[in-house]
Amino acid sequence: MFKDFSSYLQENSFLGASAYYFLSLPLVIQIAFVFIFVALIATLTAYGSILMRRYRGYRRDQKLADILPRIDQLLTDHIILNDGLSQNIPVEEIELPLDEFRIPLFRTRENRQMLIDRIVNYKKSFTGSIGALLRQLYLELELDKVSAKKMKSAKWNRKVQGMIELTDMDMSISDVNILPLTNSKNRELRAEARNAYIKLSKNEPFKFFDVVTEPLLMWDQIELFKTITTTEEIAIPHFARWVTYSSNKSIVSFCLKLIVHYNQQDAAQAVIRLLDNKDHALRADAINCLGKLRCEEAEPRLISIYSNQPLNCQIEILKALGRIDTGENIQFLRREFLQSSDFDIRKNAAKSLIKIKSVPRSLIDELIETGTAENQLILKHCMNPLIKF
Amino acid sequence: MEQTSIWENIGHIYESAVFIYGTTLLITYALLAGLSSLAIRAYLRKNSFVQYENMLGSPLTPGVSVIAPAFNEGLSIISNVRSLLTLNYPRFEIVLINDGSTDNSLIQLIEQFEMVEVDYAYTVKIRCQKIRGVYKSTNPAYSRLLVIDKVNGKSKADATNAGINVATYDYFVCTDVDCILDKDTLLKLVKPVTEEPKKRIIAVGATLRTANSCDIDEGVVTRMRPPRQLLPRFQEMEYIRAFILGKMGWSFLNCVPNVSGGLGLFDKEVAVKAGGYDALSFGEDMELMTRMCRFAYDNKIDYAIRYIPETLCWTEVPATTKIFMRQRTRWSRGLAQLMYAHKDMLFNPRYGRMGLVIMPYNFFFELLAPLIEITGIIYYIIALCRGAINADYAVLLLAFVYTYSIMITTFSILWDQLAFRHYKSVKEVVLLCTTPFLEFILYHPMNVIFSIRGYYYFLTGKKHSWGNMQRQGFGNKTVTRKVAV
Repeated sequence: MFKDFSSYLQENSFLGASAYYFLSLPLVIQIAFVFIFVALIATLTAYGSILMRRYRGYRRDQKLADILPRIDQLLTDHIILNDGLSQNIPVEEIELPLDEFRIPLFRTRENRQMLIDRIVNYKKSFTGSIGALLRQLYLELELDKVSAKKMKSAKWNRKVQGMIELTDMDMSISDVNILPLTNSKNRELRAEARNAYIKLSKNEPFKFFDVVTEPLLMWDQIELFKTITTTEEIAIPHFARWVTYSSNKSIVSFCLKLIVHYNQQDAAQAVIRLLDNKDHALRADAINCLGKLRCEEAEPRLISIYSNQPLNCQIEILKALGRIDTGENIQFLRREFLQSSDFDIRKNAAKSLIKIKSVPRSLIDELIETGTAENQLILKHCMNPLIKF
Repeated sequence: MEQTSIWENIGHIYESAVFIYGTTLLITYALLAGLSSLAIRAYLRKNSFVQYENMLGSPLTPGVSVIAPAFNEGLSIISNVRSLLTLNYPRFEIVLINDGSTDNSLIQLIEQFEMVEVDYAYTVKIRCQKIRGVYKSTNPAYSRLLVIDKVNGKSKADATNAGINVATYDYFVCTDVDCILDKDTLLKLVKPVTEEPKKRIIAVGATLRTANSCDIDEGVVTRMRPPRQLLPRFQEMEYIRAFILGKMGWSFLNCVPNVSGGLGLFDKEVAVKAGGYDALSFGEDMELMTRMCRFAYDNKIDYAIRYIPETLCWTEVPATTKIFMRQRTRWSRGLAQLMYAHKDMLFNPRYGRMGLVIMPYNFFFELLAPLIEITGIIYYIIALCRGAINADYAVLLLAFVYTYSIMITTFSILWDQLAFRHYKSVKEVVLLCTTPFLEFILYHPMNVIFSIRGYYYFLTGKKHSWGNMQRQGFGNKTVTRKVAV
């Protein structure tokens, strides 16, 4: 095969000979040739990209190592150790040395972003007057406009970035801009918009609970829970409102958790009504909520529905009886412990029996003495303070 | 004359079959490279603003049981458990299973962590060897730790099943006690479970890397390095390719074939209902995953398995050919066992992507690959003897396969570098980039031979013996212990 190439070369230029030679090869060999060429180019490009990535990373590390200490120094000198703050001058009356920050270093987009990131980072660490002064600096340097511009970007990640910066700096975003985003198709944008809305909305921070159509995922709930429970000056509403009226199950489930967190006893009636809900997961959440609220009036209802419930709801009822601790259902728990064939039912009944203060020690002793080996083990397990579950 | 033409016909059919097979494999790799790139980019973009600390103080964070079986790990067990106890997560327990160790592992645990035997009630949902005792610490600092002492079940699967029986929470993370986990492992593994809108996440995996040459301080990897020795470095390269390129690509299609036994988060209910780990399997992690998928299909559970590209676990890989051979023989035997046990799933539309994508891929490109390679070599030698080989074309085709394999492996290293820029110096990356050049000549043939050995053991039913795995240990202590390799 390769010998033939020389014969082509005698009659043609090198390129022409190569072309004729290539076309004379079988198709499979032609494909192999092309792939070898592509693979070599791709591999070399990959090496180049790796080196480029390493170099860029190295340069960025160097830059960070150079700029961050300078930003830290500026923030320490002019914000944290600000003379006005030590003299108890109100924050809004303090004149900031803006020229110190308006240096050529921060004119590039990348470096300005580093400054924003650092100010946001400091704001998270400092509350009170230092936090307010950081906010003032952010405003006076017009960095809020940089963040607001990101919110107008077509890219969702830029939007999220802008929103996070504005919320972390306690800047207001109009409801008109943010409310539509709480139902965005992009999950990350939607979640961040909801967080921002709760944190920044001046009117009704929980308004999106009324309009939300997409389910609140567990992750969204974790983030929202953190935002709601840590945001200062937020008017906590009666969550029973959504428990009663919302058709979004995830909103109802989330509100039940908030009812427990804020111990909203007046929500008990709304929660009890949920016991008729067809969704057993939601019913289990409602029972859990009633138990944690220690809602005594729910006890007879829980006992009455017990036999018709699936296992997860039955277990929640047993736990709730232990938490409510009225002592009126000791015999019910005893019966479940002795008669149930399900291990988890017996274990949870035993746990509640141990938990209820009015259960006489003699009853526990009697159960231990007369119980089967497994029941004895369950009781000992539940009585052991080293074992939590 | 007639006989010759039959052989020629057979030869043509074989050549065509191998051509189609090879082309499909190459296209699959190219697709995986593209899809993994998309999956990694999507992951990075999605997680660039994530604040994991939101999970830390939240009562809504799901609880996780970390199950870590240990057998004769006395020399390192205390530091390994201490490392696990430092995991960054609000609701978790460590279930450490002392699988009938013959050394002083249990005594050390009792003394170091102030443990006492407790009356622990549990129900046996999955069969396992008898649990001799359950221990809890009297020191509140170690309240997350639960130690199970059980009769040796001669497999990690049996020990893990015991741990699952005792585990409290709805999700469990399965790991090896000698694996080093990133401190945010649980936060990162749980996140995909909490952000899935419709499907039920039955398992989440993450990237594993070799710990052989890494700098490790108090159970924490302080500096990642590619292994200095060639054999472990081959494995580092293979892990990058398998996790970053392979599993991320499959994850994009919701077709993850396996979640590694070194680190994986599982839905306990599905795992238990699927029957837990098979103590008789040689590839128990893949076997469980297959059974969990099968259970999900049989019960019409719309499930998903997720993979995350971040390295969350480091493990010491075999550094000698002997240990490596045992490990790979065991793995290939496990694969053969799995394919045989679940042969009815192959091309079965009832099992959706599992039956139509994962199982056929495993069958053709994992199970059959070594056999096709061996038959190919034999065919090649015969053809060479008969003078039926065009040497120029043969060299060219070999060069094609060689350059292509280097390209695919280099891409996986590139994805890893673009996403995470692991390793401190360029030298280390260059060292890793040179490794694929030798893979074709040294590492791949070894894998083929050990795989064939595994299939032979599977067919002959050879009894598997527990081998001595000589580990260097993370504290530079050389530890010899019996593990399933």
